[in-house]
Amino acid sequence: MYKSAIFILTLISFSSCKSASELKSEQYFVEGYQLYTTNCANCHQADGKGMSNLYPPLANTPILSDKAAIACIIKNGMKGTILVNGKEFNRPMPANPKLTEIEIAEIVSYVGMKFGKDSLYTPIEVVQQALANCKQY
Amino acid sequence: MRTSNRIQHLYTFFFVLLLAGIAGCQERRLPILGERDWVKKTVDGKEVVDTIYNAIPAFSFVNQEGETVTEKVVEGKIYVSDFFFTTCPTICPIMKRQMVKVYNEYKNNPEVMILSHSIDPEHDTPQVLKKFATDLGVTGTQWQFLTGSKEKIYEIGQKNYLSTAKEDKTADGGYIHSGAFILVDKEKHVRGMYDGTTEEGTQKLIADMKTLLEEYKK
Repeated sequence: MYKSAIFILTLISFSSCKSASELKSEQYFVEGYQLYTTNCANCHQADGKGMSNLYPPLANTPILSDKAAIACIIKNGMKGTILVNGKEFNRPMPANPKLTEIEIAEIVSYVGMKFGKDSLYTPIEVVQQALANCKQY
Repeated sequence: MRTSNRIQHLYTFFFVLLLAGIAGCQERRLPILGERDWVKKTVDGKEVVDTIYNAIPAFSFVNQEGETVTEKVVEGKIYVSDFFFTTCPTICPIMKRQMVKVYNEYKNNPEVMILSHSIDPEHDTPQVLKKFATDLGVTGTQWQFLTGSKEKIYEIGQKNYLSTAKEDKTADGGYIHSGAFILVDKEKHVRGMYDGTTEEGTQKLIADMKTLLEEYKK
């Protein structure tokens, strides 16, 4: 009886653990969607495809897997010429000093899941660590 | 009995036709916007009151090709005007995306032009504007990107295009300006203001431009 209770509790904890992470992914996705719409979509567009030769796309770009780079660029902006999917872009991206670490984590999660290949969210710790060691982009 | 009934029907039919004809005469006209003034003058010994409408005054700016552009450029044309700056992170990209739709709708129509004024002329030199236009996919001179004296641009925006444009260090990007598209007729009167940040505003503008062009067809 005691043993089986432990067994069942363990099972529950495992399944709830998994769903907690999924739940968090959903939360981050929804929050990230709102933040993306207000802060990013003007230029990068709602569908992440960018705008002609003015603003680069995010959808299906390799940089989406580099969470540290994405977090730092959102926070500090970016300048200089970049090559995205074979096209050159060189308009500066403004910094977003008002965004908090958790908000950046939510945006990174959203773009990663919506426009990249991620199935789960990017935890705030990853963003915190990245922001503490940003290089110039 | 039957014949008179038939005649009665015929009369009704013509009466309806007449009504439809009258209604058809009153086509939709766009209003003239902005402050008005009235002057009294004497015509044939009688005193009459004349209305002076808000009109876009003479101007002189520089376009993306580095050429001086005056009110002559829009002579005999209707045009859409707006205010933006190339480094604007907020509403300008949306406005430009929407304006591209207007541009594509009336591309190569010799009666239609677009004038986009930069409110950050110190940064937005003709070269910067040229690069912006090219990157946006705009070639030729039907869509002019204008720069020039900041005071003159703000003044014509505020006073004549009925549109806010000013510096504000607290705003993202450093400037606040309205997201309006302003429709101007061949007599330089403002005939419509549209929210250039929305699809509804843009579609209304495209439709009203058609209405306005119709006015000149007679």
